[in-house]
Amino acid sequence: MKILVPIKRVVDYNVKVRVKPDGSGVDTANVKMSMNPFDEIAVEEAVRLREKGLATEIVAVSCGVAGCQETLRTALALGADRAILVETDVELQPLAVAKLLKAVVSDEKPDLVILGKQAIDDDANQTGQMLAALLDWPQATFASKVDLAGGNATVKREVDGGLETVEVKLPAIVTTDLRLNEPRYATLPNIMKAKKKSLVTTTPAALAVDVTPRLVTLKVVEPAKRKGGGRVADVKELVAKLRNEAKIIA
Amino acid sequence: MSTYRAPLADMQFVLNELAGLSQVATLPGFEEASPDTVSAILEEASKFATDVLDPLNVPGDREGSKWLEGGRVKTPAGFKEAYEQFCANGWNGLTKSPHYGGQGLPQLVSTPVEEMWHSANLAFDLCPLLTQGAIEAIELRGAQALKDTYLPKMVAGTWTGTMNLTEPQAGSDLAAVRTRAVPQGDGTYKLSGQKIFITFGEHDYTENIIHLVLGRTPDAPEGVKGISLFVVPKFLVNADGSLGARNDVRCVSLEHKLGIHASPTCVLAYGDNGGATGYLVGEENRGLEYMFIMMNLARFSVGLEGVGIAERAYQRAVAYARERVQGRAVGLEKSVKTNTIIEHPDIRRMLMTMRAYTEATRAVAYVTAAALDNARVNPDAAARAMAQAFADFMIPIVKGWSTEVGQEVASLGIQVHGGMGFIEETGAAQHLRDARITTIYEGTTGIQANDLIGRKTARDAGAVARTIASEIDKVAAKLAARSDPGLQAIGVQLAAATADVQAAVEWMVPAYGQHPRQAHAGAVAYLKLWGLAVGGWQMGRAALVAADQLAAGEGDAGFLHAKIATARFYADSLLPQVSALSHSIVHGGESALALAADAF
Amino acid sequence: MTTLIIAEHDNAALRSATAHAVGAASKIGGDIHVLVAGSGAAAAAAEAAKLAGVGKVLLADASYLASPTAENIAATALSLLPGAYSHVVVAATGFGKNVTPRIAAKLDVAQVSDVTSIESPDTFVRPIYAGNAFATVQSKDPIKVVTIRTTGFDAAPSTGNAPVETIPAAPDTGLSKITGQELTKSERPELTSARIVISGGRGLGSGENFKILEALADKLKAAIGASRAAVDAGYVPNDYQVGQTGKIVAPDLYIAIGISGAIQHLAGMKDSKVIVAINKDPEAPIFQIADYGLVGDLFEIVPAFTAELG
Repeated sequence: MKILVPIKRVVDYNVKVRVKPDGSGVDTANVKMSMNPFDEIAVEEAVRLREKGLATEIVAVSCGVAGCQETLRTALALGADRAILVETDVELQPLAVAKLLKAVVSDEKPDLVILGKQAIDDDANQTGQMLAALLDWPQATFASKVDLAGGNATVKREVDGGLETVEVKLPAIVTTDLRLNEPRYATLPNIMKAKKKSLVTTTPAALAVDVTPRLVTLKVVEPAKRKGGGRVADVKELVAKLRNEAKIIA
Repeated sequence: MSTYRAPLADMQFVLNELAGLSQVATLPGFEEASPDTVSAILEEASKFATDVLDPLNVPGDREGSKWLEGGRVKTPAGFKEAYEQFCANGWNGLTKSPHYGGQGLPQLVSTPVEEMWHSANLAFDLCPLLTQGAIEAIELRGAQALKDTYLPKMVAGTWTGTMNLTEPQAGSDLAAVRTRAVPQGDGTYKLSGQKIFITFGEHDYTENIIHLVLGRTPDAPEGVKGISLFVVPKFLVNADGSLGARNDVRCVSLEHKLGIHASPTCVLAYGDNGGATGYLVGEENRGLEYMFIMMNLARFSVGLEGVGIAERAYQRAVAYARERVQGRAVGLEKSVKTNTIIEHPDIRRMLMTMRAYTEATRAVAYVTAAALDNARVNPDAAARAMAQAFADFMIPIVKGWSTEVGQEVASLGIQVHGGMGFIEETGAAQHLRDARITTIYEGTTGIQANDLIGRKTARDAGAVARTIASEIDKVAAKLAARSDPGLQAIGVQLAAATADVQAAVEWMVPAYGQHPRQAHAGAVAYLKLWGLAVGGWQMGRAALVAADQLAAGEGDAGFLHAKIATARFYADSLLPQVSALSHSIVHGGESALALAADAF
Repeated sequence: MTTLIIAEHDNAALRSATAHAVGAASKIGGDIHVLVAGSGAAAAAAEAAKLAGVGKVLLADASYLASPTAENIAATALSLLPGAYSHVVVAATGFGKNVTPRIAAKLDVAQVSDVTSIESPDTFVRPIYAGNAFATVQSKDPIKVVTIRTTGFDAAPSTGNAPVETIPAAPDTGLSKITGQELTKSERPELTSARIVISGGRGLGSGENFKILEALADKLKAAIGASRAAVDAGYVPNDYQVGQTGKIVAPDLYIAIGISGAIQHLAGMKDSKVIVAINKDPEAPIFQIADYGLVGDLFEIVPAFTAELG
């Protein structure tokens, strides 16, 4: 069984992003980039499925600038067997990524695609669902547990207020939620080995996909700053303020 | 609270622009150390340092390692698991021979990684560090059977290693070592005696501990020429590699220390029940010589501890200064609303001092690491010899100066915190307590300084010292020739410092023979003078590279501007100390020795 | 210009998120239709019909929609969509996030996620980078598919009276099947829709100690949340987590107890109307955004707070 793991290169989780003064976007020049944390969970899940003997090959794929190679190398160091980069300098929106992935799926014919539920840069939470739609495959989003058996995947999903179990026929799309697993660290020997694994590059044109953005970003601003910093001396004052000043409790 | 983040941008800059990673990657055996692989290694190491080691640093300090009845030692909660993960992830074998399961990477690559471990959790890293020393001893001089028995397990971290040198009466003076080693006629020896200050001499990490022990055979000559080196495993190892009988070595107590509390510093008793079985490494009576082969690397590593602690203390101070609201900073526009202490000029001065020292010691250490790699494997004999001479000169400086600076930076870190820094809760105090040992173990600053004035300066009549000084002068001249007034100013200060260094060398070379007591009284000043100067050299080189990159529109402009500003601060505020030290070296010796011993 | 809203409901009742979606759709202008796809969902449809601004409710009833899958909801919505609607609006709940992109992709249009403000029928404001920036985006597509943050839009009041029209459900896609549900049992309001949220952090010290928050929450009819640190420490389950990677809340009152205020946590609650912080560390970053900060031992303050409420 083959698993395809799409991954995204994003501004590192720990970086405090700054909005560009001209409001055209967020400043990503010379900012530390890393693999989207939800995608790390996806890679980890794929590696665990292979370790359990349920998968035989893991192919990592990323769409974007040449720098994504570095992120793919990370995936290879974590255990992916080979990698594909769909290289473009065009700003890719989720629909375009889903179309590129559909093309890759047609070539690779994986039995399962596991990817993060959302990327921590655009926070769109769309790509997996869109890919499922384009392929007419079932989707199991926000997974917190994945079991494979008999051509089906049984997935526990995080839903508002609890968990839901969904059974999908393979091939299918699974998107990962935080609780699915805790990703491992790449080991030093695996980092060294990753360099020797195959990483092939293709382009949207070669895949015959039009990636023109459909949404135009008119401006980006920083959130309004809260005043904050108010203090109260004790519980009595707190309750009085909540009652009389904020008028928020009875 | 401050979370450690590896200074990857500066590390990469120093590796690539100052230390010559691309050249080291051309050396035989180091072809894998390409910049992209190294970048991936640093990235992953930084995650491990931040996520696993840093969170254990404060709790490990508070809990400490504990001695239990029966001579067992319990390390602080989480350390054993972290150690297992550290080994499972392959970090233990970074520079080790691929033949024994290591990755065979150059020292230059190991250096930033080690710096991260030191920053995140110095006490934790002491165990892998000592294991590394023990591995080298066996690998360099051990018989093949010893290597085959011990190295694969030690490289994997399944067994750890220790270095047993010190005895109660033999500290810096190893000639006084008394531990007895009696040959048994079957190739083994029975050891008995007491060793102290044995880092991770006992712990709960692993099933076995391999002690490297200095001792004397019954007919050994007196003094340093009668010391042999032995492997003494905690559990004897059977022919099939399985563990056999418990050896006659026990941890009888742990020291109560100022810092590095998580690291168990053991008193080990050998031979209380008839003698601990040991295996000779190399030949009898050559133990100290073998120790000295490893000494360079061990001293280098301790120097790097100074860099690591300085970086950590700096990061903590910056985080605090950004958050702490206190007073209104002088001279700011009324419209500036912030009252955080980072706006105060004196806080800026302290942070800048911490930053400049940290960056300078880092650059000096990494440049030295590249020389160690060249000295070991450069195919050209002349290049090898030159690199060795340079590394030999630099090692006492990296060890002595970086650790002295590390302490100063950790102390400034407390000062930035004010009263809160004196309170343990902020974490600033731990860095100073932990740093305090680094100027002592592996040879005190005084011993490093004696090495620098003697073997490294006087022995070749100052030849290497003068060569390095002339290299510094060349950089000073390049800076002075730039049109940018900032770079020119750095050049002027660097040239002045070089002249003071040259004066000190010209005084030291004859004085070492003619006035040895005065020369030695000025030795630490001489070491610090050299540290400041080579720091200025590397900061000057960094400023040149940064200016060129900015002019070419390459790199991260913010980082490069900051590098130039830091180099300028170093040149104007730290480098001028060279002049005072030079005066002290040349003129201070007599008064330092003026009083009779009973006048103190 | 007509907006299609996909209702979220449990067949018996409509979830409040749907009323917020209608509120958002009112900002776009034009007619509003609500699709209620379920099994025996007439009651939910009747509730939807009362929401002010709704012109028509479309009820698709089929047994396989009892626990509807994204695939089946999307299929029924898609059977209505082409040509008939200018907008699709769904609340950005777990339900909406699951279903909506599937619809957008099938229509070959982009989706605008988590909209917090509607500037015009084709221009929307949405948070990116966990709320550290807000982007104003314009959709060039013929149909605008958006999910909206319920906290960004007032709920439509139940003052309307729209007709309910029954439509055929699309055939079962058979791609997936919901085989089980484990809902976290709680008498409390749901975290994302509660008017008051009380969150505990690592300062609580244990899961057991979360009990002292419960007494206060009972008095205030508040939901209980937690910081990631408390979740990571295993004090409470994952679905309590408020923050960048957990639930985003914006209640009228947010009370942070023993939470230092990591940026990732602030991202999940900083839009709350009033923030109270209780922490023993006077330097905790949470105080910088709190309207009312109280420094002290939470184990004394919280019981006193509960008692003071009478």
